[in-house]
Amino acid sequence: MNFLYFDPGLGAMIVQAVVAAAAGVLLFSKNAWHKLKLMLGLVKEEDAYDSIDVDEEDDTNETNDKDQ
Amino acid sequence: MIKINNTHEASFRDPSGYMFHDDETLRRVINPIYFPQYQKLKESGVFKTLIKNKLLIPHEETSVSEARIIITPEKIPFITNPYEWGFEQYKQAALLTLKIQKYALSKGFILKDASAYNVTFYKGKPIFIDTLSFDFYEEGTPWRAYKQFITHFFGPLILAKYHGSEVFNMLEAYIDGIPVKMISSMLPSKTKLSSVIYPNIHLLAKMESKHSEDYKAETKIAKLSKKAQNNIIESLYNYISKLTLKESSEWGNYYTKTNYNEGAFKTKKDLIRNWVQPLNAEKLIDVGGNDGTFARTVQDLVKHIIVTDIDSNAVDFNLKQIQENKEENMLPFVCDVLQPAPGIGFNNTERKSLINRLKDYAPDVTMALALIHHITLSGNVPFEKSAEFFSKFSKNLIIEFPKREDSWVESLLVRKREFINHFDFYNQEEFETGYGKYFVLTKKEEVAGTKRVMYFYSKK
Repeated sequence: MNFLYFDPGLGAMIVQAVVAAAAGVLLFSKNAWHKLKLMLGLVKEEDAYDSIDVDEEDDTNETNDKDQ
Repeated sequence: MIKINNTHEASFRDPSGYMFHDDETLRRVINPIYFPQYQKLKESGVFKTLIKNKLLIPHEETSVSEARIIITPEKIPFITNPYEWGFEQYKQAALLTLKIQKYALSKGFILKDASAYNVTFYKGKPIFIDTLSFDFYEEGTPWRAYKQFITHFFGPLILAKYHGSEVFNMLEAYIDGIPVKMISSMLPSKTKLSSVIYPNIHLLAKMESKHSEDYKAETKIAKLSKKAQNNIIESLYNYISKLTLKESSEWGNYYTKTNYNEGAFKTKKDLIRNWVQPLNAEKLIDVGGNDGTFARTVQDLVKHIIVTDIDSNAVDFNLKQIQENKEENMLPFVCDVLQPAPGIGFNNTERKSLINRLKDYAPDVTMALALIHHITLSGNVPFEKSAEFFSKFSKNLIIEFPKREDSWVESLLVRKREFINHFDFYNQEEFETGYGKYFVLTKKEEVAGTKRVMYFYSKK
């Protein structure tokens, strides 16, 4: 089912476990630090402008979008 | 009736389908091998959500048969390539790719490739244009486009941080991204202490050379949980969104140190508007247009505007204004007129040269304001040669000629030192003779309060 039409690089596939571990530690500490700062009132909740998350609002009420 | 005139020169690597020209319309064929993915993406609403959020180019399904599905994506007026982006553009394109990958993953898909050519700029924002880049996610597998993301996006961005955005020019030489080993070697050793740069670049480079001789693909590929993959994506996203450039602008604050006053500035703007208005132009290009200041004087008169500049900071500043004002008809990108982007890749046609793309774009108006003295005096390009360059894609040319007495010209001439006499040809007569070979002079007007003359030329 998966057709690899380019070589993803074996090293790159293996290294991702290490990258992910480092990222996990970093994200965890960043979140903990952020929560602490929130608690102490040092920062406000950020707006979602630059957020990585895609807006998935249910659009069933909207009139027909042309993209379907 | 759909006619497959000729397939798109850059669309041959992916067996899932290809782009082709149906006269003026660019369409996409989806091969049966990709039907399951396509149907699932359509049914699950992934396409819909991405399109609604303006992350993916909208498309319409044109025809469906057992042999192929044809879709027609919305037409993009002009395609820019990664080596023509400013730092901010590059960054936004990288973030868009990660955002789409994270979303796809949450819906059971992945981006099967992370090429920078999957992104271009449209209506003031980066947009993903390769509708067939998605594949099913298989539980526990690492992201196979990860390395491509590093060589196409993360690596070039990190290099730009340390060496300036000129490093993006390297992408002209490396169509599939800058080799990881090279990225690693070009970074200062302090980056080995970074918990993001070290694993994503230096360690990756090491692992790649260690496993480069696995000819039979025998080594077992490590498993990676979805959560772990999300961590990679998010940490890259966070890091890239905070990246900044430490380079000052060549022209960034140009207008604060112009050699003419506000009155003359306005006279020039009015003149341009008066000349452009009767043309009913649909497309305009401002070559060397800095942050788009003069292009904006005619923005309401023209459907689509390209503004290029050699200075990546000016391009970034233009992008900032475009995004703040939600301007949809202006496209900024980086271009060195003395060395426009060549045709690169397989057959030298995979990515078209700038001149060929401009020929296809066929602007109704070309503007070149305060540019000729740079081309002529910094680039030592004779008038006839620069006229030939503009004539390749221009119908109407509005070109500004700063006279020898203009302080910018004076400064460029003084820098020629003992060779100053070699540039005696820099005068209006010679200019008119050179441009007369390719163009017909229609209008000519001195800009009051300056030592500059505006010319309106039409192509012969």
